[in-house]
Amino acid sequence: MLVLDRLSKIYPNGVHALERFSAEIRLGEIVAVIGGSGCGKSTLLRAIAGLDRATSGTVTLGDIAISAPHEKIGIIFQEPRLLPWLSVADNIGFGLSDLPANVRREKVATALARVGLADKARAWPRELSGGQAQRVAIARALVPQPEVLLLDEPFSALDAFTRRDLQDHLLDLWADMRPTLVLVTHDVDEAVVLADRVLVMRPRPGRLFEEIQINLARPRDRHSPLFDNFKRRVLTALDRSLDRNVPDAAAKSNAGEAMWW
Amino acid sequence: MASRAPSGRLRRWARPALGLLLPVGLALAWEIVVRLGLSSGRLVPPPTRLFATIVELARSGELARHIIATLTRVVAGFGLGVVAGTVLGAVSGYWGLARRLLDPTVQALRAIPSIAWVPLFILWLGIFETSKIALIAVGVFFPVYLGVMGAILSVDRKIVEVGRTFRLSGPEMIRRILLPAVLPAYVVALRVGLGLGWMFVVAAEFMGASEGLGYLLIDGQQLGKPAQILAAIVIFAILGKTTDWLIEIATAPLLRWQDAFGRPGGAA
Repeated sequence: MLVLDRLSKIYPNGVHALERFSAEIRLGEIVAVIGGSGCGKSTLLRAIAGLDRATSGTVTLGDIAISAPHEKIGIIFQEPRLLPWLSVADNIGFGLSDLPANVRREKVATALARVGLADKARAWPRELSGGQAQRVAIARALVPQPEVLLLDEPFSALDAFTRRDLQDHLLDLWADMRPTLVLVTHDVDEAVVLADRVLVMRPRPGRLFEEIQINLARPRDRHSPLFDNFKRRVLTALDRSLDRNVPDAAAKSNAGEAMWW
Repeated sequence: MASRAPSGRLRRWARPALGLLLPVGLALAWEIVVRLGLSSGRLVPPPTRLFATIVELARSGELARHIIATLTRVVAGFGLGVVAGTVLGAVSGYWGLARRLLDPTVQALRAIPSIAWVPLFILWLGIFETSKIALIAVGVFFPVYLGVMGAILSVDRKIVEVGRTFRLSGPEMIRRILLPAVLPAYVVALRVGLGLGWMFVVAAEFMGASEGLGYLLIDGQQLGKPAQILAAIVIFAILGKTTDWLIEIATAPLLRWQDAFGRPGGAA
């Protein structure tokens, strides 16, 4: 269980990016965090990753308090952030330097085949397309077998077709080891395709507005009426989150059925 | 730069040949002018006389002695300058406090034309090798220092963050992230530094040397031997280009990953 307990973040310049954000995320669950710009989504993710410390509040994974990057937590950024001086294979093996070379090579080869880039092992990152590079980034994050994988708008820089392709691919990879996924996105479609639960945040200061369970069996049909219903619910929640007249108390209407529906 | 692209084979041979056209043409034309008696070629000796001078110097063993003297100075001064520039540049780039302490002073010293140090170096270090090497080292130091510091400061924060997410220790971060990230700029700094080293060795040898290519220049001037001056200049050009090329060759395998402009052409 990944437990976020009353996380707040105030930046040195006085910006109140996150206020008392709490959530409990089960092992293997896929949670999408969605919200308008400036609602603290990325701040939240960086706090969970241990990259930035929250001003107050705690992140606990099992019985480990997270305050710095931890081996059980992997992260994928919006950009692939591959190291340009390493081959694709060496990029994927970057987090495995403690392992003996032959074990590492085997794991890298398996991961490369799994993301469909076996023929690119010796290529340089600059020779990859955007989608391929992000696949390598996903493989690099998954190869150390983290319990939790954080994704910060991982597909937002890609074209629509590649994005869909990678969303399906991510679910496919997730099914192998079922890590907990926490995905920050501003794409409603993406949230509903991937997540078991969508957390809608509202800005200034960034806080939780509403939780929406997506009770849809996988694989999900993007064109079904049920899918559209969930999309509309998330969209409505997003609209309401930006309406200053709607009080925060709405956050408590968390469970599957929202009464105003 | 092949702006227009003719067919493959032509481009491969034509481009270097095109670059040779002007100097070879001029040399040939001058040779003909002198042979026809249109000029005595006393002040500007024709290529054959220049070549004969070089051969003569080489045969007497003089040339080797002068080349070795100059090369030794450049190597020693370049080595010292690179070590000092790398260490101080790395410290200033990596550590903010050191940068605030050190950098203003270094920048102020950089504003002094390095040749202005010559009289002081002679007073302090004598007129022999030490003062010459010191001058070359000063010339090499600044570009290397600036290059290293600037390169470290401009390492992409996002890449460093990748290192953090994989929990690299300080030394690991330097070895696996900072060093490779800094390397391309460092090679450029080394090449600029070497160029300045060759520039300053001439200045150093002008201030009183009994051997070296700079001495050949002065000697040629005083004895009215323009062929000797030109011979020394040609050898400077060859040595400078060769040492620069050595750095390029030595570092090329480390920089293969770079997305370089004009790389596919090969000749760029």
